[in-house]
Amino acid sequence: MKKLFLPFLAILFFVSESLLVDLWPKNDWYQHYLFAPRFLFIFVIFVTVYVTQAHGMIYGFILGMLYDVVYTEVLGVYMFSFTLMAYVMAKAMKLFHNHLAVTCFLSMVAIVVLELYVYGIQLLIGKTDMPFDQFYPHRLLPTLLINAIFLLLFSYPLKQRLLKIERYEREE
Amino acid sequence: MPQFFLNKRLILLLVSIIFLVALIGFSLKDRKELTWSEQFIKDTTGFVQLLFHKPAQLVAGFFENVQDIKNTYKENKLLKERLEEYVMLEAEVQTLKKENEELRAILDKKESLRDFIPIEATVIGRNPERWQETVIVNKGEQQGVKKDMAVITPSGLIGKVQHASQFTSTVQLLSSVDQKNLISAYVQGKAGSVFGLIEGYDEKRKALLLKRIPFDAKIEKKQLVMTAGLGGVFPKGLPIGEVEEVVPDEYGLTKMAYVKPAANFYDVDEVIIVKRKIDAVQEEEAK
Repeated sequence: MKKLFLPFLAILFFVSESLLVDLWPKNDWYQHYLFAPRFLFIFVIFVTVYVTQAHGMIYGFILGMLYDVVYTEVLGVYMFSFTLMAYVMAKAMKLFHNHLAVTCFLSMVAIVVLELYVYGIQLLIGKTDMPFDQFYPHRLLPTLLINAIFLLLFSYPLKQRLLKIERYEREE
Repeated sequence: MPQFFLNKRLILLLVSIIFLVALIGFSLKDRKELTWSEQFIKDTTGFVQLLFHKPAQLVAGFFENVQDIKNTYKENKLLKERLEEYVMLEAEVQTLKKENEELRAILDKKESLRDFIPIEATVIGRNPERWQETVIVNKGEQQGVKKDMAVITPSGLIGKVQHASQFTSTVQLLSSVDQKNLISAYVQGKAGSVFGLIEGYDEKRKALLLKRIPFDAKIEKKQLVMTAGLGGVFPKGLPIGEVEEVVPDEYGLTKMAYVKPAANFYDVDEVIIVKRKIDAVQEEEAK
């Protein structure tokens, strides 16, 4: 049963994003500010940091692929970026002291990079015509706000869970 | 230089970038159908999403109900006033319907572009990325859903089916930016109907753009805009919205109207996918 816990957590995070966006009250704030929850991405980063790099990259690849197929229907975008960012995060964590605050800060930086990368691709394939001066206040900042709140609330329990899983994996 | 090429990771990165570009190119191609592997993944995740979504929606629905109770008194007052108008309209509709049927019988024309078979579906997911406003619903090809079908709520048109897999399908809402998202529509005028094309959405004004209206057409504010049912698989007469403002087009050859949508694109839980009766009949005949 313990072996199934990490995949279960992954599914939970995968569904949670869509649930949040769907159940959010559809007021003016929702229509005006295009916040995007990046909980799945945060999950991949935390797995990379607290379980192993290999786990992080494999989960990044699979979850990224699911995200592409199910939600966006543009294949490859998230599959590529989740895997690459997991790799970069693992390398970056070697440079810093392993502390929860550092991980959270790096996750926020990673989210900014991810948003810019996805924005670039959307512009490139002509699915959006949003200029950058609109992208910054209407998308990037609300996205960061939502994810920062999420990190504040859930980063500590998530870390504890993942460390438990890591200990279990090492014992095997 | 040889050392550069020996770096395995770099090569892997370059190869995956090429792979990425190829994949994006593949998915942007005008596809009629998703590949079977994509359909399989979508249906499987759709099932999981349904498991999580139903209870969550129930809980959220409860809180919404509490909110609604607060507004009940005001709404009740308004509705009572409307009810009298409604009775009169109802009687008129009945007579018109009967007359229409009789005339159709005389003409020996059974199916019209207006008739449709509704397929009711529940929203089980929404694109969290929010670059494209799409929702996932729990009915697919097995229930008769096909690509490009119209999707409505009781108040009006909200979008069309982007892709259908076996048990789920993706609905693209009218508010997403897509050059290919054309819908032929007409404005119900006093002198006759004026045809145009719904081409995109103005996010700032929260209005749809009805373009290519002939320059001499007379359109007024508050006139209703409906689907024309020309081309594609949309039935005729689904309400889209009402005219808000008419302005000359960018080249000055045609006019453009801002259309205030009748349905709320954002707040959708239950939708109806519309299958034209004429198509269903043709399908059966083909069998």
